Amino acid sequence: MAEDPQEKAKLVEEIVEVIASEGMIDRTKVTPGATIESLGLKSVDIVMILTALEEKFNVYIPMDGALQDAKNVEGLIDAIAEYVLKEREKQ
Amino acid sequence: MAASSGGVGERRVVISGMGTVSAAGVGTAALWTAARDGISQVRPLVTEYPYDGRIRIAAQVPDFDPAKYLEKALLTFCDPFTQFTLVAAEEAVAQAGFAREELSGPRVGVIVGSGIGGMTTIDNGLRHYYQERIRPDPFSVPRLIPSAAPTTLGMRYAANGPTFSVGSACSSASQAVGLAAQMIRFGLMDRALVGGAEACIVNGTIRAWEGLRVMTPDFCRPFSTGRNGMTLGEGAAVFVLETLESAQKRGHAPLCELAGYGTSSDAKDFVRPDLDGMTGAMEAALADAGLAPEAIDYLNAHGTATHANDITEAAAIGRVFGERAGRLPVSSTKPVHGHALGASAGLELALTIRALQEQIAPPTINFLDFDPRCPIDAVPNVARGVEIRTAMSNSFAFGGINAVLIVRALAGGA
Repeated sequence: MAEDPQEKAKLVEEIVEVIASEGMIDRTKVTPGATIESLGLKSVDIVMILTALEEKFNVYIPMDGALQDAKNVEGLIDAIAEYVLKEREKQ
Repeated sequence: MAASSGGVGERRVVISGMGTVSAAGVGTAALWTAARDGISQVRPLVTEYPYDGRIRIAAQVPDFDPAKYLEKALLTFCDPFTQFTLVAAEEAVAQAGFAREELSGPRVGVIVGSGIGGMTTIDNGLRHYYQERIRPDPFSVPRLIPSAAPTTLGMRYAANGPTFSVGSACSSASQAVGLAAQMIRFGLMDRALVGGAEACIVNGTIRAWEGLRVMTPDFCRPFSTGRNGMTLGEGAAVFVLETLESAQKRGHAPLCELAGYGTSSDAKDFVRPDLDGMTGAMEAALADAGLAPEAIDYLNAHGTATHANDITEAAAIGRVFGERAGRLPVSSTKPVHGHALGASAGLELALTIRALQEQIAPPTINFLDFDPRCPIDAVPNVARGVEIRTAMSNSFAFGGINAVLIVRALAGGA
């Protein structure tokens, strides 16, 4: 992706915040390698996370597609960031 | 297992007529043509009030003018889901060759499933009351209750037998058809008008569905790579059920036999499908029909195009059909008519019956590429000629209620 690395880092930070707060997990546990199972994130938690991201970034992220292939936090963030960045390009 | 002696639980049940209203319009011919030729009926969303959500597509019944089909006095009491039901029933009854009075009396039942009921009435009523500060329609209550569809239908034909609505979300129509078949088998009634109806493509509902993140913003692609959710649909499907003996006696050739019905509940999760639950319902339907899995020649899948449903359903098909699972033609017609919730299983049963009649498996459209996590033959994009004597239709609902129906061709009408 050709976006500004600083902007990407900020975005990642913001997504991590949302995952931690909406998933009700300790912020320090949300590391790139942490698996979705190890964080105890269920489908209902993902719905809550995506809803909060929609309000924050004004972007619709379906549950299905790229998000389902994510195995860990890094994968989850990449999938979400892609939607956010795509939406920003449109604006 | 087949028996026609008329003993308790042994009466064979047939489908004598069917009718549909769907995104393809009024009539099963239009629905079948669209499904067979793979022409999606998903269009830009049309709402009465401006919609501020992100999902802007749906499979809506186009240009539906209820006054064309129904008396004005009756329309006052009919939410769109009831209108669709009444119009679908006209086609079904005509095809069954019944005059109105032949469906009257205490031995005729009416069972219609719906996920929600009169959602348009609810949405409008709340808008009027809370936002516009005007009184809701005085007949809001009789319009919005889920039982409005079966009771209004029953009034039309003066059917006094068992009449109620079945609510099991996306498997409602299958439950209605299956329950009615059992009640006829066991002698609780002789004839029935059954099916499912839904009309909830209104602002409040679409926004609620968006919240679950299971809606695709572009294309519904069941079992395919790149799938990202479902598209909402609406409509109704109504079937006329009677015993084989009754059809033979009046010289009517039924469309098919309703051979099996199986249902199960996952009792686990609000939205996540379950392999055991799905498998259990399919096996129960086979057991009810007295058939081995090898007897099934075509399967109309639930196939919503959500990540979780399609993988779980494909795994369940693998469990039930074993090594044959990869060769059995399995298609989802939802990209054509949308996911019509309480009506969906009815629309899909109608298409399953047409597949049986035409010996054609309709395709799963919008299919990009084979997903190894869904190892089935999804009849991608193009219809296929298949020898079909017996076919299965799956429907699986939020809340974990699974229902499966099996239909079988009747050789020479018997």
